[in-house]
Amino acid sequence: MNTRRSGLAPRTFMLLLMAYLLLPLLATGLYAFAENWQNTLLPEAWTFSWFGEMFKDIRFLEALWTSLYLCLITVVLSLAVMLPAVFVITVYFPRWESFMKGIVVLPYAVPGVVAAVGLIRAYSSGPLNISGTAYLLVGAYFVVILPYMYQGIRNSLLSVSAVELLNAAELLGASRRSAFVNVILPNIWPGVIVSALLSFSVLFGEFVLTNMLVGGHIQTIQVYLYRRVGESGHLASAIAISYFVFILLLSALLMRLGTLGKR
Amino acid sequence: MKKMKQRQRGVILALLPFVLMVLAFQVVPLLSMLTGSFRREDGTGFTLGNYLHAVQSAYYMQAIKNSLLISVSSSVIGIAAGLLCAYCITRFTPAVRDRLLMLSNMTSNFAGVPLAFAYIILLGNNGVFTLLFKQWGWSVFSDFNLYSWSGLILVYVYFQIPLALLLLYPAFYGIREQWKEAAALLGAGSWQFWRTVGLPVLSPAIFGTLGILFANAMGAYATAYALVGGNYNLLAVRIGSLVAGDVVTQPQMGSTLAVLLALSTLLAVYLNQRMVRLTEGFVSKSPRKRLWRREASAGVRTAALEEAGQ
Amino acid sequence: MNDYLKLQGIRKRFGDAQVLNGVDLSVAEGELVTLLGPSGCGKSTLLRCIAGLAELDGGSIELERRELTSLPPRSRDVGMVFQSYALFPNLTVSQNVEYGMRMRGMAPAARRSRCRELLAMVDLEDKRDMYPQSLSGGQQQRVALARSLAVQPKLLLLDEPLSALDAKIRKNLRAEIRQIQRRLGMTTLFVTHDQEEALILSDRICIMNQGRIVQEGSPEQLYTAPRTEFAARFMGSYNVLTRAEALTLFRSLRSAADSFAIRPEALRLLADGEKPGEDTDGMIAVKGTVQSISVLGNIIRAVVEAAGICLTVDLLNDGRWLRVREGEGVTLMLDPAQLLQLEQEGA
Repeated sequence: MNTRRSGLAPRTFMLLLMAYLLLPLLATGLYAFAENWQNTLLPEAWTFSWFGEMFKDIRFLEALWTSLYLCLITVVLSLAVMLPAVFVITVYFPRWESFMKGIVVLPYAVPGVVAAVGLIRAYSSGPLNISGTAYLLVGAYFVVILPYMYQGIRNSLLSVSAVELLNAAELLGASRRSAFVNVILPNIWPGVIVSALLSFSVLFGEFVLTNMLVGGHIQTIQVYLYRRVGESGHLASAIAISYFVFILLLSALLMRLGTLGKR
Repeated sequence: MKKMKQRQRGVILALLPFVLMVLAFQVVPLLSMLTGSFRREDGTGFTLGNYLHAVQSAYYMQAIKNSLLISVSSSVIGIAAGLLCAYCITRFTPAVRDRLLMLSNMTSNFAGVPLAFAYIILLGNNGVFTLLFKQWGWSVFSDFNLYSWSGLILVYVYFQIPLALLLLYPAFYGIREQWKEAAALLGAGSWQFWRTVGLPVLSPAIFGTLGILFANAMGAYATAYALVGGNYNLLAVRIGSLVAGDVVTQPQMGSTLAVLLALSTLLAVYLNQRMVRLTEGFVSKSPRKRLWRREASAGVRTAALEEAGQ
Repeated sequence: MNDYLKLQGIRKRFGDAQVLNGVDLSVAEGELVTLLGPSGCGKSTLLRCIAGLAELDGGSIELERRELTSLPPRSRDVGMVFQSYALFPNLTVSQNVEYGMRMRGMAPAARRSRCRELLAMVDLEDKRDMYPQSLSGGQQQRVALARSLAVQPKLLLLDEPLSALDAKIRKNLRAEIRQIQRRLGMTTLFVTHDQEEALILSDRICIMNQGRIVQEGSPEQLYTAPRTEFAARFMGSYNVLTRAEALTLFRSLRSAADSFAIRPEALRLLADGEKPGEDTDGMIAVKGTVQSISVLGNIIRAVVEAAGICLTVDLLNDGRWLRVREGEGVTLMLDPAQLLQLEQEGA
């Protein structure tokens, strides 16, 4: 009953929290539109020129493109690898599930720096010298999104009770493969799309691995942003805000899909 | 017979790519790092020298100490603030609560480089507030230096609080209104209730979250790297420069420190898993409730992952 | 009647819904009174108002001549047992039982001995060091009962304490609660939606509907003489008839009421061709057909259609009726003396 009424104290604390959390965002936003901002509480003059400059910068567009296609390739690869694997484990070998879960959850106990150290050592010499290449980065990205993809696919399979569906389809005379393609896939698709988008947004914000593994050779949007921070604050703000708005739109889409999927 | 064989081939085909990818990009690198930490500087033989060196070097020990200190402090502050906010957020209607959570989660996308950058705009050497405070003559803030310990704490806490909030608030729904009512009827005041029942019931969630926050701070690289670069001696940044630095790299030493870092985060995450299991023990036997729990802990995991991926 | 607990004009609303609409009730010391009604009738809210867990919009509550309305829950000397037990999961059984005494600053030794006493009473001495979640539902509810009795409340409130349990345990615990209540002479308000439970347990039953008490009385009174259609339907599977239907069946009526009720077991059935016995003197015979028949154990429940009206008939399962099939013709014997007249709802 008390949950209906929120008292003064909760309101105050939440207000403070929101101020603390939103202030840096707000400042970056203002900075991106400010022509000049010094010694005053609010900027003196406004301009769109920083955004204009951003889009004129060929390196920005290149970095954006690099980020997009690297993330996309990784997510597609992950889908191709994970869908059959999680399906087989969940449906035929549920006893292996805890083992698989252990493997899949490991990336979140191992920080990015540590993963990068291992990857660099393993692939900078010997038969597979792929250090500094996109191959290595895609492999590293694949591991980063393992947990999201696994959880997403597995939860979708469980929530549509894939085993029963499969049994029903087979009783009706469908082969295993056609049952998977025609019955299971269409049913888990919404949930899988959500985890794919989530993975995409995670990779889009990835910095550690990118910077350490291929920082000198390949510039993603995060690495580019890092390089520009030292040069022009206003331009960097414009980039940061654009990046943030993009991620926001992506999460909004995610949430939309999430609520649609639940219905 | 033939059908069985066919099925086996199908299963192997489905699992093979997954196994290969995990081996190549997760297992092999980790093993390589582990063996590397026992190799001599030239990459041969077996030695404990790297670990000895790490322990004896004042420089590396300082990095470890700084990282531990900043992780523990930011986690404790994050937990305290998160606990308060999580309690507050459960006092709102679900609609308002979800909107607040969404805002808070939204800011967790603002981690790493952009976050460091935002703080530089606000409080850096030429930051808006820095200049304003100077102009207004607020000397209290003149000692504040964003590129030092206090600045790092401020920024770390910024990304710890939303995470703590997200991990803790479901636990508050585990505290049933009827426990409060029963306690009130038995003569307990509000504070007595929280001391004898509320906080003990929350404690597994609190300690578990503390583990996640700690691991999160220990592994945080992007924010610190973008904010202080090499100027402040932190373990994650130190490892980065040892293996991928601009000058001479020392992969063996980097591996050693990375193993130490991984040990600390693995321990913290292990603590979290244990605590999650303990929390499950507190939940009543009704199956609906348990299902809810499982969803909550899945949410917890996803949330934790989001930060780890920064 | 001795007014140990006295409720007067209790009113409570949640938003637009008037949950309690002027409830008056007196309970004597040591009496067990049941509040019986469908979900949403306000019975649980009434209990929560007495405990102080919900605020009143109007009315007064007196316990032993002391006005409770402005007191916080812990000063009311009221114990309560919840449907979902509400045991503290981080405390053992004995710590749960001792909780109230601990909050009142009782010495540890006294607490322990009282706790032992109470656990013996609910027959759970061997579970004292276990945690609630490792006990069965029935055991948990007994712990909850012991916990609420530990502080010797003046009034015990039981909010559907048996609803979460399965049938067998419910019966045992029901008897146990009644026995403990009698032994301690504990004045008790018992909320339930189960009429069988109410009939067995209570000294007195109050039937509630839409925020008010519509009828109160002893279990026998309520069962044999429901006053309204609501009470009739709720207290058993009474056949409720409109005036027109009653006229069709009974041909003439002594009362001017608009609706009537007759209990299923007050109807007699004769198989086709069976001669009415002497015990059916004065009864009215009506031809009908069996619509459905179901065996409920010692009772056979038949639905018989006569003159376009469906009536439920309960027959003692003495083997005679097992051969009757659906669609067969029967003769219904109706006793005008058993026909109850009902008051208009809300009158």
